[in-house]
Amino acid sequence: MPNESLAQLSNTLFSVALITYIAAMVGYFFRLGFTRFTSQGVVAGTAAGRRVGLLATGVAVAGWLVHLASVTTRGVAAGRVPWANMYEYSSILALGAVAVGLVVVQRRLGYGHLVGFVLAAAVLSMTSGLLLFTEAGPVVPALNSYWIKIHTSAMMTASSVVIVGFVATALSLVKDTAERRVAARSGESYVGSTVGAAQVGAAAPAGAAPDDRTEGRPDGYEADAGVDIGAGDGEWASPLAQREALSPVLFPLVPAVAVTVFVLAVWRAPGAAIVAGSVAALLGTAAWYAVPFLPPAAKLDNLAYRTIAFGFPIWTFAIMAGAIWAEEAWGRYWGWDPKETGSFFTWVLYASYLHARSTHGWRGRRAAWVAVVAFVALLVTYYVVNLWIVGLHSYAGDI
Amino acid sequence: MTGTVSPPKAPAPLPSGSRLPDIPGPLETLRIAWRRLRRMATALQLLFALAAASVVATVIPQEPVTAQSVEQWRSGVTGPGAGVARVLDELGLFDVFGSWWFAALTVGLVVSLTGCLLPRWRAFVRVARRPPAAGRNLERLSASTVLSCPLEPEQALRAAERVLGRRRFRRRRVGSQVAAERGHWREGGSLVFHTAFYLLLLGAVIGKVFGFAGSISLAEGGAFADTRIAYDAAQPGREFDLGDHRGFVARLDDFDVSYFPDFTPRDFRSTVTISEDGQRVRTADIRVNHPLRYRGMTLYQIGFGMAPHVVVRAGDQVLLDERVLLAPGGGSNLWAGTAKVKVRDPDSQIALDLALATDARLGDDGQPVLGPDPRPRNPVLVSSLYFGDLGLERPVPAADFDRGDGPVETAMLRPGKTAKLAQGSLTVEFRDLGYWSGLQVTHAPGRSILLAGAALLLVGLIPSLYSYRRRIWVEATPDGAGSRVTVAGVALQRKATFTDEFDAVVSALRDAVGSRPPPRPEAGSQPYSQPEPAPSPERSP
Ligand code: HEM
Repeated sequence: MPNESLAQLSNTLFSVALITYIAAMVGYFFRLGFTRFTSQGVVAGTAAGRRVGLLATGVAVAGWLVHLASVTTRGVAAGRVPWANMYEYSSILALGAVAVGLVVVQRRLGYGHLVGFVLAAAVLSMTSGLLLFTEAGPVVPALNSYWIKIHTSAMMTASSVVIVGFVATALSLVKDTAERRVAARSGESYVGSTVGAAQVGAAAPAGAAPDDRTEGRPDGYEADAGVDIGAGDGEWASPLAQREALSPVLFPLVPAVAVTVFVLAVWRAPGAAIVAGSVAALLGTAAWYAVPFLPPAAKLDNLAYRTIAFGFPIWTFAIMAGAIWAEEAWGRYWGWDPKETGSFFTWVLYASYLHARSTHGWRGRRAAWVAVVAFVALLVTYYVVNLWIVGLHSYAGDI
Repeated sequence: MTGTVSPPKAPAPLPSGSRLPDIPGPLETLRIAWRRLRRMATALQLLFALAAASVVATVIPQEPVTAQSVEQWRSGVTGPGAGVARVLDELGLFDVFGSWWFAALTVGLVVSLTGCLLPRWRAFVRVARRPPAAGRNLERLSASTVLSCPLEPEQALRAAERVLGRRRFRRRRVGSQVAAERGHWREGGSLVFHTAFYLLLLGAVIGKVFGFAGSISLAEGGAFADTRIAYDAAQPGREFDLGDHRGFVARLDDFDVSYFPDFTPRDFRSTVTISEDGQRVRTADIRVNHPLRYRGMTLYQIGFGMAPHVVVRAGDQVLLDERVLLAPGGGSNLWAGTAKVKVRDPDSQIALDLALATDARLGDDGQPVLGPDPRPRNPVLVSSLYFGDLGLERPVPAADFDRGDGPVETAMLRPGKTAKLAQGSLTVEFRDLGYWSGLQVTHAPGRSILLAGAALLLVGLIPSLYSYRRRIWVEATPDGAGSRVTVAGVALQRKATFTDEFDAVVSALRDAVGSRPPPRPEAGSQPYSQPEPAPSPERSP
């Protein structure tokens, strides 16, 4: 039974977590800012930067624990699993994304620089959750099945992982553009995109295995020990040139417009659109500022591939569990309901991305764009289909 | 892999003097088409087309799912207008997944998949059967290290076999070498994954052709026999004949719905007794998410409503005596429906519009006040009488009769009460209140094939994404009292991961042969930056 005071506590914890994440995000961006260049073209964290970075990590972990408590109390208050409406989904998606960011991206792979962007994605997701707030309550009987618990938890895990994949893809495209432009300016002969360089780069001999795309962990790349700017083997071009090669106007403008239009289209809330648009503009600026400090595009691309390849089988399983559940609840395993169609569509696009990575003429930037489109498809399935399009999932009337 | 298939060769030059254009013959055309289909780029384009089709199906309402919205689009009430809707209809966009072009797309994918898989399977079987090959120039491989070992070469090689065996490498002795390899499941898994699509397709087609789905609404106490005519709506597959119905009788003994305190429904439960040839076979509850399976048919709970028992009499003659099924009438506490009382004789037809409120207390002024409770604790039935030429004989839904000037008279009834209408010539009795339950009955063959396909899909996908091909060679040559052991390896994918694995193998081997650690492991942990020399690892085409 909904328990008022616990539900209230959960809401409070949610707000605390959101604010903590924002603080940690700012901390991580500070850490990006407090890096400096050495003569070898390597960025090293300044003492201040390292300290702020450490603090930001602590704050993020604390925020994550508070967030976890919020989700747990919500479940206890409602007397069911805490993922039954869009507010709760958005919250758990953020929880999963931050976990992937802290554990996989920062701890395992050592890309601490990127966690600020993951936190930003989490903050956006939680903000959208606030716009979709629903009181803690029971669910309709159709949702009361252990298959849907399996289905939705798998969907959310896959989505959280793929959010991180999207962050990496977007940054890799940015970095790749910067690398290309700098190379073009300095008149170097530029051998194709560095995105997906694992397959295309000049290093790969003509006869190299074509499915070499699973180039492993970015070796030798350490969190604070310094970031290879990607000029290691060539002459050292100023990393600041990478920033100068990108437009400081377009970077905040494009995400701001995209997010504003999206929020206006889905919620028709001008106030929220302005706030979200400003956050996006800030993020765009941060991305622009961070360009020199980002890992080389090829490594970001690899991170994107690995996260997506991790999320894809989970997504596949989630769709299957959903079909089994639909069979039990509605008497058909697949009915091309808009929600089903949407998740199938997203799945096909991610499969296309995996194919594109091993298709001649597609690997590199084009494959990265496929991943971007796939993520947009996920957002459309998640927000637009849920809120706009009538299907079986809007259950009113009969059962 | 298919990306590396060589482009089709240009047809042989025509003899000089010929004026024929450069058109390949039919056989050559087929061969070119087949080669094209086998290319990864073709598969990618087909996948994009599939994605595009599902975008369309998400944005445009689909007839099999939301028929009402489609009607509204067609009539121009909503959507982009009737003209556009006609074009969409022409293109089959209101039923994307049933349209001819989607079928063509599926066929294209299947053909492409086949063209892709056949050569891959052949190559995979060939490669997987071939024992690991001997390596040459081991020291020039980038992952390569030399140990000096106190054991004789034979013993060192045996130790190497054990170490590699523990790590589940396939091993073979070739002269003074142990050649080992692992990771065929990368390609094997991918093949299993793609092949599983045939099972999914087969299961879906079987379900479509031999399956059946029908729905029926039963008032409490009502029964139906599993025959085609009994269903309110039926979608039989092409090969599901009248004789395929099981003929059992299902009776709704009881229906029950429970609510949470905020009146959202908690559970729906139909208690159903199944009998065959008059013999009771089984009584079971059907709940949402808990269907009843019986002789290959599955009964699902899909809807419910209120069913007041209404009796209409004209003098002694009983005109109507049945439970009338009411549909949701706005909110969970209001229900509405229609009863055709007398259809014959177009001039004196009789119909009742029924409206039921589940929670209607009497206010101080004697008028009913509606409450929010969906449970029929305090129900009132409002019945409006229509008389005359109502068009009841037309084959349209009961609710669509001709209401003309409105009802003749309206009465408000509590359960067990009777009202006299039309100057006492008709009586309407609200005898009691029950529920009706909406059941769906489905026969879905091919389910197990689908499930097997889904399982294979997952089982194949995981190694195809995470496993990787690699080879390791251990060569031992006599060296004084002991031997000189060369360890070398190469990986086709995930080279950084392999570097770690290689180091682990070397250190395990060193422990196993009792070798002194070398001054500095120079090789073995180098990044794979430069092209690898021989041996050229064979690839599947
Ligand atoms: C029906 C939809 C299809 C789906 C969902 C699908 C999905 C996938 C997935 C998830 C992978 C793994 C990618 C990786 O290992 O990184 C893959 C690999 C592959 N697919 Fe498909 N596929 C489909 C159709 C096809 C078709 C029609 C072909 C043939 C032309 C094809 C050819 C391949 C090949 C050759 C690979 C191996 C790539 C490699 O390992 O380098 N696929 N596919």
